[in-house]
Amino acid sequence: DTHLDIQDDADTMSIEEARRSWSDHEASTRNLALVLTEHLRLILQPTQATKMRGDFRTGKRLNIKRIIPYIASSYKRDKIWMRRSVPSKRAYQIMLAIDDSKSMAESESRDLAFETLALVAKSMSMLEVGELSVVRFGGDVSVAHDFSTPFTSDAGADVFRQFTFAQSKTDVRKLLAESIELFRAARLKAAGSASDLWQLQLIISDGVCEDHPTIRQLVRTAHEERIMVVFIVVDATAQKAEAAGGPRQSILDLQTAKFVKDAAGESQLSIVKYLDTFPFRYYLIVRDVQELPGVLAGALRQWFAEVVESGG
Amino acid sequence: MATAQVPGDRLAQVRIHLKTRSPDIELPQDTGPILVSTELKRYQLSTLVNRLLDTEKPIPLEFLVNGQFLRTSIDEFLTQNGISAETTLSVEYVKALIPPLYVASY
Ligand SMILES: [Mg+2]
Repeated sequence: DTHLDIQDDADTMSIEEARRSWSDHEASTRNLALVLTEHLRLILQPTQATKMRGDFRTGKRLNIKRIIPYIASSYKRDKIWMRRSVPSKRAYQIMLAIDDSKSMAESESRDLAFETLALVAKSMSMLEVGELSVVRFGGDVSVAHDFSTPFTSDAGADVFRQFTFAQSKTDVRKLLAESIELFRAARLKAAGSASDLWQLQLIISDGVCEDHPTIRQLVRTAHEERIMVVFIVVDATAQKAEAAGGPRQSILDLQTAKFVKDAAGESQLSIVKYLDTFPFRYYLIVRDVQELPGVLAGALRQWFAEVVESGG
Repeated sequence: MATAQVPGDRLAQVRIHLKTRSPDIELPQDTGPILVSTELKRYQLSTLVNRLLDTEKPIPLEFLVNGQFLRTSIDEFLTQNGISAETTLSVEYVKALIPPLYVASY
């Protein structure tokens, strides 16, 4: 059922089909989910370095800054002690944004996208560290599963049903702009301290998107709001097409040809590798779901290292 | 470039796969898909192929999509034929015919 000319609602799965599809994908990625969970457990664990802090009447160490006010207040302001604080458990909000555009059906990336979804959702639920949402995008953006609803097997099937891979555009600008809003709203609703909330977006797409400068700007905005965006490029057809002796299909081979006006107003042709202007700082190219736990863990590890270093 | 403008459909791009049946103007084996603006017309596509062929003198070319000669921009062609820019377009190129006058005066 990979017709190219599917009507928007003609191809939605029945609930039975969706359940079967979800359990198939969940089963085929079960072992990988264990691997990913172990990787993530190590990365997502709160840093154990405890700090001395506070203003307490009793404690382990004197807070030097409090001594002078203490004396000056005739020993009334006596909260001069610090205690070792317990590291708070970090909370995570992870959004999986999956490309629902037609190019995904054409490139047969849909299976890889579904496997990725099943894998990440399973790992997150095993970890029990946070909330998961799923967004689908193409010409429009819509929430297929929101942060506040637990992600069960039924939820997985329900999410699968919403995908058609028939949207006639791939608007990544819109995806980013609307995701930032969704993350802001989710941060406000999150329980506990907002500073312990870590937000991560994983975009799963074949990677072909327009207007790289605007996208780059939006990624920067997300980063400033401490939303990490990782772009997972599913490059599913590459091997198959090449093995069959067909033309090269991989995003690694894709070139962009552009006519740009030079200083004299003459139109000049420039040909560059598509990925040379790719606007995402963290991106991974995955040809096989088996590769995903390793590369995803690598990207997350790098992100956490940077955040910890910058004192965030 | 006018990136400050409200981005809209004018930025549409499409992946094309260029091929020909004439062995003398075949592209190098490893030429992959190419992403181009849907505003392009025959002339720009011809410039593109000539660049890829690294020709000394440009060879005028004509383009066929789904067996039809491209006489408009790619965008108009897609709209008229109900083709989505999400699909990779297979574009065949042929040498443009030499005008008869030119042959007569030779
Ligand atoms: Mg697409």
